[in-house]
Amino acid sequence: MPSQDILVIGGGPAGLEAARSIADLGYRAILVEKRDRLGGTPDEAGYAALTPDLRNAEEAMNEMIARVQNNPNVELHLGATVVDAKGQAPDFTVTIKNAKESKQVNVGAVIICTGFQHFDPGRETQKYGYYEFPDVITLVDCEKMLKAHRVVRPSTGEPPERVCFIQCVGSRDRRIGNEYCSKVCCGIASKEAIEIKQQLPNAKVFIFYIDMRMYGYWENEIYWPAQEKYKVNYVKGIATEILQRDGKLLVRGEDTTMRRPFEIPMDLVVLSVGMEPSAGTREMAKIFGLKQNKYKFIETIGGALDTVSTTVPGVFAAGACTGPADLEDSISAAGLAAVKAISTVRQAETVKA
Amino acid sequence: MPVDKRQIQELEKAVVDGIELTGDWNRMFAQRPIFDYDTAIMDKITSLEGGESLGWCYQCAQCVGVCPVDIVGGDYGPRKIYRNVQAGVDLFTDPDLWKCTTCMNCLRVCPKNVDMIQIMPAVREEAVMDGQVPEELQQVFENTFEYGNPLGESPRKRAEWTKKASVPVPLMKDKKQADVLWFVECYPSYHPRGIDASVALARVLNLLGVDFAILGPEEKCSCDSQRLAGEKGLFEEFAEQNIRTFKKYRFNQILVTDPHALNALKKEYPKYGGKYQVVHYTTFLAPLLDKLEFKNTLSYKVTFHDPCYLGRHNGEFEAPRQILTALPGVELVEMGRCRQNSFCCGGGGGGMWLDGFMADHVAERLSERRVREAVGTGADVLAVCCPYEVSRFEDAVKSTGNEGKLIVKDIIELVVEALGD
Repeated sequence: MPSQDILVIGGGPAGLEAARSIADLGYRAILVEKRDRLGGTPDEAGYAALTPDLRNAEEAMNEMIARVQNNPNVELHLGATVVDAKGQAPDFTVTIKNAKESKQVNVGAVIICTGFQHFDPGRETQKYGYYEFPDVITLVDCEKMLKAHRVVRPSTGEPPERVCFIQCVGSRDRRIGNEYCSKVCCGIASKEAIEIKQQLPNAKVFIFYIDMRMYGYWENEIYWPAQEKYKVNYVKGIATEILQRDGKLLVRGEDTTMRRPFEIPMDLVVLSVGMEPSAGTREMAKIFGLKQNKYKFIETIGGALDTVSTTVPGVFAAGACTGPADLEDSISAAGLAAVKAISTVRQAETVKA
Repeated sequence: MPVDKRQIQELEKAVVDGIELTGDWNRMFAQRPIFDYDTAIMDKITSLEGGESLGWCYQCAQCVGVCPVDIVGGDYGPRKIYRNVQAGVDLFTDPDLWKCTTCMNCLRVCPKNVDMIQIMPAVREEAVMDGQVPEELQQVFENTFEYGNPLGESPRKRAEWTKKASVPVPLMKDKKQADVLWFVECYPSYHPRGIDASVALARVLNLLGVDFAILGPEEKCSCDSQRLAGEKGLFEEFAEQNIRTFKKYRFNQILVTDPHALNALKKEYPKYGGKYQVVHYTTFLAPLLDKLEFKNTLSYKVTFHDPCYLGRHNGEFEAPRQILTALPGVELVEMGRCRQNSFCCGGGGGGMWLDGFMADHVAERLSERRVREAVGTGADVLAVCCPYEVSRFEDAVKSTGNEGKLIVKDIIELVVEALGD
């Protein structure tokens, strides 16, 4: 007899929300997370504050975690991965493996929430010298420093006087192969710029950009305050070269609206790295036989009207495993995936009756 | 020696923040401009009261499209000012500080409320205090201070023009009270073409039986344009004097000939304790038109220039048109740029006294561009209702070679012409 349980793979924001929604609607979720703790990338990467509202990330994630931990309708598998899947909707047999043992579970539907990984700027060859210059860091490195309330130049341990962000690193790039916009980096860079100014009010902060993509309320909630209240300087034109000279970074590029080159000294350069599918996302696509798009994100088949159904009936995907997504996208998609997964197992029951 | 940061600097030896950018550095690249995006000037401007919003610009560039100074080749507009300042240009000493006529067309289209009407006076005030003012403007400040008017005319002769009026123009000093206190202002008191309009208005007021009086020598310049050009101190002193004078008399409303005076009395004087019902003469006359008997048919094709400080700044677009269309025989044709998008004559915000300075920065005067536009409508008459405009446009008619094709008239002159003898 097919199970009415629903497997949720991934314990980040989308997975936590999917499991909670399933439990709230009276069904049982089996939540598998490869790390030995929940919270996903915001926890693993040590985010300081969420975008756009600058809410404390740890506190927000703990709230989400508390809703599924000790929830009688959620069966947790930490430090575990899905290694095999057989069958079809509504009768999947999935093998879950942890350090000690393998276990098979029967589920009626599956929701994949395995997320993204940050673009590795080392792939930008010599453009920005991420692995060469200690004071060239990423948004993720900057989050960690913000969380520790210690924004410094890694080379000296001293607070920077001049900081710049370089947008679109690893995104919107045909040569790298990531032609898409990673959607969140403009907001996150602006948010981090605000936090840097909060922690170091005398620092000069610059953001070099192609277009500022601050859609919806991000415009007035992050972009405008960053510029108007925190006096972050936005300069249209991406720096293309960083050189080190006498302990400073020389950032070179074109100031497009002035139609002239710039060459400016910086103490700290933050690369706004975008999103790529995580290893887990690629692995799950393989195990469940899901079609991936050319960037290896899991393809959803309903266009704008169904953002969670995959090419395999009964298997849904939510959050950044389907493409660049912010928290709002991920949480919304997770709720939708839970509803569709429940609808799959309920239909099976109706047919049986 | 100060470096002009607008010009590309070819540097033999460049040192930025103690780092020398020579030798190996130049092996790969031609010498090129070095900028360090010094934010000190932007920080200084945005910390001034009124200067805050310069920092809000997000470079959409809508302002530049409608900036009259840019249209005549001035390479200007708030977007450009923001970027220049962000890149380190010292606006306090830069010629850009004096190009703005505060016409407000940029603010009309700005999605972020970058308000040049606040920014310009705030920055200019600092420049004025530092003595960084174009010579010709400084002269006007001194005239105003000394004589109470920018033309440097004798304050005792402020009511001399009334001798040319064939009707009584009573003084408040004599009447003590009147329904309407007519604040004549400087150009309508002293400039020959301004006097023509004052004489005409005096006649119409008499015809309508309006109970009015003027202040005469007691009246001081409203100083609105001097304020916008950075002389806030002068403005405040004269505002206080005028308010003291107003207090001596009883009246129900203040009638103004000059939209700049309208702006000062309506929007600024309340900050100094002077709250009045203030009305421009076109607004005053429009509802009284049916009390006038027009004997002459004018047979003119007329185009109307909306003054920045009557239209955009104070919202009156209809009254002048109501008057013009009520005149027998007048055919009103609109210029492409009219009403909200009216084109500045160049006289506002101190521009009235910066023609020599502006000549070095633009390809043609704003008034010349406007006259060409007026001629393009096929109009015989360019009608105006701001005392700066008659002389500016008459000069421009001559300098653009349009003499004989277009005449410039104040609306009130046309009214009197239609009334006949």
